[in-house]
Order: sequence, then C-alpha cells, then structure tokens
Amino acid sequence: MRALLLKLEPIIWLLFGQGILIGTMLLTGWILVVGILLPLGIVDPVALSYERAHGLATYWLFGILPIGQLVLAALLVLPLWKGAHHVRSMLIDFGGGERDGFVGSLLYAIALFGSVMAIMAVVRL
Amino acid sequence: MAGPAHPDAMAPRKPGRTRTAPPQTPASWWGSSRIRTYLLFDATGIIYFLVGFLAIGLISDLGNGPIAWHRALERLGNPIYIAFHVLSLAAVIFVAVRFFRLFPKAQPPRIGPVAPPPGPVIHVTLYVVWIGITVLMTAILAGVIF
Repeated sequence: MRALLLKLEPIIWLLFGQGILIGTMLLTGWILVVGILLPLGIVDPVALSYERAHGLATYWLFGILPIGQLVLAALLVLPLWKGAHHVRSMLIDFGGGERDGFVGSLLYAIALFGSVMAIMAVVRL
Repeated sequence: MAGPAHPDAMAPRKPGRTRTAPPQTPASWWGSSRIRTYLLFDATGIIYFLVGFLAIGLISDLGNGPIAWHRALERLGNPIYIAFHVLSLAAVIFVAVRFFRLFPKAQPPRIGPVAPPPGPVIHVTLYVVWIGITVLMTAILAGVIF
C-alpha cells in the first residue's frame, strides 16, 4: 500500500496543497455566513432562502461557466484532502510510520469517497 | 597544479552501518511550543474533514428540495453546530496565517525560466486574495450583493 501511496504522491500533494490554499480561502466566508452569522440571526434568512441558495449554486457566469457549481465543488472536495493528509501526518507523528500504509490509504479512501459524494451532490443541483 | 580532490576520496570502501533511528515525536512534545504549533496545524485536518462532510450534507439537502434545505438550516441553529463553526473559523484563520507565512519560504529559486516574486510580495498577495475572496463570498452569501 505504501508503494501505491508513493506513486500517487504527486496527485495527493496537488489536492492537499489546493485544499490548504483554495479550501481555506473559500471556507472562511462560508463558515462565517452559513455556520455562524445566519444561525445567530445576524444575516437575514431570506439571503439563503431555498430559491436564492439554489440560484447561487447553479449560477452560470456569462452563460458559459457554471461558476456556482465549480466554487461549490472546490469548497466541498479540497478541504477533505487537506484533512486526510494532515490527519495522516499527525498519526505518523504519534503512532510511527509502521501502519502508515494502511492508515494513509484509509484516510485518502475516505477523502475520495467524500469527493465523489460532493461531486454527485453538486451535479444533481 | 593538482585538480580538486574527489568528494568521496576519503570515504571508506564499504559504507558503515546506519546508526540513525526512525524519527519519533519526543515524549516532551507538550513542552515545546514549536512542536505544539506544528501538531495543532496538523490537527486542523480533523476540522477540515468535519466541515467538508457537513457542507456536503448541506448541499445534498439543497438538491433534495426546499423542505430538506430548511430543515438543514434549522439544524445549523443548534448551539453545538454554532460552537463547532466558531472553532472551525478559528482553525481556518490559523491555517491561513501559518500557511501564508510558510508559502514564500517553500518557493523554488526558479520556476522554469522565471524567478518567483520576492517573499513579502507573495505574502501580501496571499492576504489580499484571501481577504478579497472572503469579503466577496460573505457579501454574496449574506445577500448584500448579487
């Protein structure tokens, strides 16, 4: 399993790196509004009514670019790879590298499963 | 004049036995602020995992129609969810500040024929883009613009 992880390292690092960079940039505003301001009543619930939320998520820029779905896909998929890689790194720090082949594969499999779920959720909007 | 010595001229014929041990986290890690910060940076991965799956559930509910969407938003009003999102926001800001500081240092001397911009320029640019995207997303999601 470790040999496979080493072969996939460039792809994993690409997704992990974008998870930190793009994931972090997108998550900040998302968490602030959806997770904090809206539930606390600071933001008017009309702002994320079903019609408006669905309209934003399926918005096409200039009629050619599905910007809403692309942003959502990045926001949902990339943080999972940042999460998987950093949790793997933390488990190596505490548990050593002996089980890394299994643990790393399991974490990336969870991230892959989540990514497929995320893309399916975005596509069916 | 003699040329430079071969770099391995003084090396033993047979390589010696490796005496290095596999790297380990020291037992006193809790007392070192550098290791604590490093491990905290790794631990934010758990938050990213949870936030990611929570957001996937939310968008799935958006695809399931208005009733599922409104139920999902109501769930987010639970104090446990709010506390989790406050913690997540702190984690995301921590990741951004630490990563943006490390990013310029991780640049190669050249990218193809071009040298990357100076470190401070990269650092400021990352902050400008991050703050810009955050303000834009917040304004759009909160219904201020668009």
